[in-house]
Amino acid sequence: MRSTSFLWNVCKSSFTFGLIGLTVSDRVASVVRVRGLSMSPTFNPPNNTSLGLFTDDHVLVEKRCLTDYKFSHGDVVVFCSPRNYKEKQIKRITGMPGDWISVPFSYDAVRIPEGHCWVEGDNPTDSLDSRSFGPIPLGLIRGRVTHVLWPPQRVGKIDKKLPRSGLSF
Amino acid sequence: MKGRRLFTYSGGSVISNSEFIWMGMPNTIMKMFNKSIVFGLVGITVTDRYAGVCPIRGSSMSPTFNPSLESFTDDYVFLEKFCLDKYKFSHGDVVIFSDPTNYKERCVKRIVAMEGDYVSNVNGAVKVPEGHCWVEGDNSAFSSDSRTYGPIPLGLIRGRVTHVIWPPQRMKKVDRRIPQEGFAF
Repeated sequence: MRSTSFLWNVCKSSFTFGLIGLTVSDRVASVVRVRGLSMSPTFNPPNNTSLGLFTDDHVLVEKRCLTDYKFSHGDVVVFCSPRNYKEKQIKRITGMPGDWISVPFSYDAVRIPEGHCWVEGDNPTDSLDSRSFGPIPLGLIRGRVTHVLWPPQRVGKIDKKLPRSGLSF
Repeated sequence: MKGRRLFTYSGGSVISNSEFIWMGMPNTIMKMFNKSIVFGLVGITVTDRYAGVCPIRGSSMSPTFNPSLESFTDDYVFLEKFCLDKYKFSHGDVVIFSDPTNYKERCVKRIVAMEGDYVSNVNGAVKVPEGHCWVEGDNSAFSSDSRTYGPIPLGLIRGRVTHVIWPPQRMKKVDRRIPQEGFAF
């Protein structure tokens, strides 16, 4: 008798904690693993060891920004890829609605429409970003990266680095 | 003392019947509080991830929703979010998505073309790119949709409308009507 009521209590507690965990992860913050080199050296800086589960950067993504925050230049955001809605990408916002972005290798300038933003990776040679798929609607954004949590020697806050290249005026 | 029952606490102090009921109250209140927190969390999780109810404003989807301007209340619809994980969206689905021009608002429209289809527009034929879809309101005259802002990425979609649940006389399943006009080929 006592063991079944103990088991029942364990089940109830784990269910409640699971729900709390889900709600927090959906609405407050969660931890995400960064794959790929498009945001070097901010995430996954080049080194000799191969990238894997334990050597990829893990970052803290906060979701409070989705309700009342106004995104701005230099924010690193997680968003659903416009080419494949099941994938998520991490890039930095380098242009906001109303900005003009100069298209590389041409004399054109693209104006970022209302409700959209221009995202670029910090490592321009290895990054598939707005230079390929154009400005993305802000509604695709799923969270804003604030801190690096792993590896321990690189734990710290992410800077809102304003981009130097790519004339946005 | 005759006619009065006394309960002995394990600590040795003696309390009366009425005091015993009062001391049980905070325990009951705590249990009710716990249960309401759990139900609240379950409600939030279900609404975020699985299904929800949403009011429809405006007449861009007449007559499917809000068929008349003089109705006193907006239609409420049931939307399901299972589609966001595994489902492949297809022609005729009515979906709710973030407005591409203002990410804090949401719109409801019908998908009339998927990636790879060609849609005839006033400017010629437009090919819907990969990962995108073309949405239009059922009431073409009063609808600002893909004919205004172009194809939308599927990642903006927040749920698929399956039923109208209010007002009661119009409760029914929402049909996957394939539009006849506007060549999507």
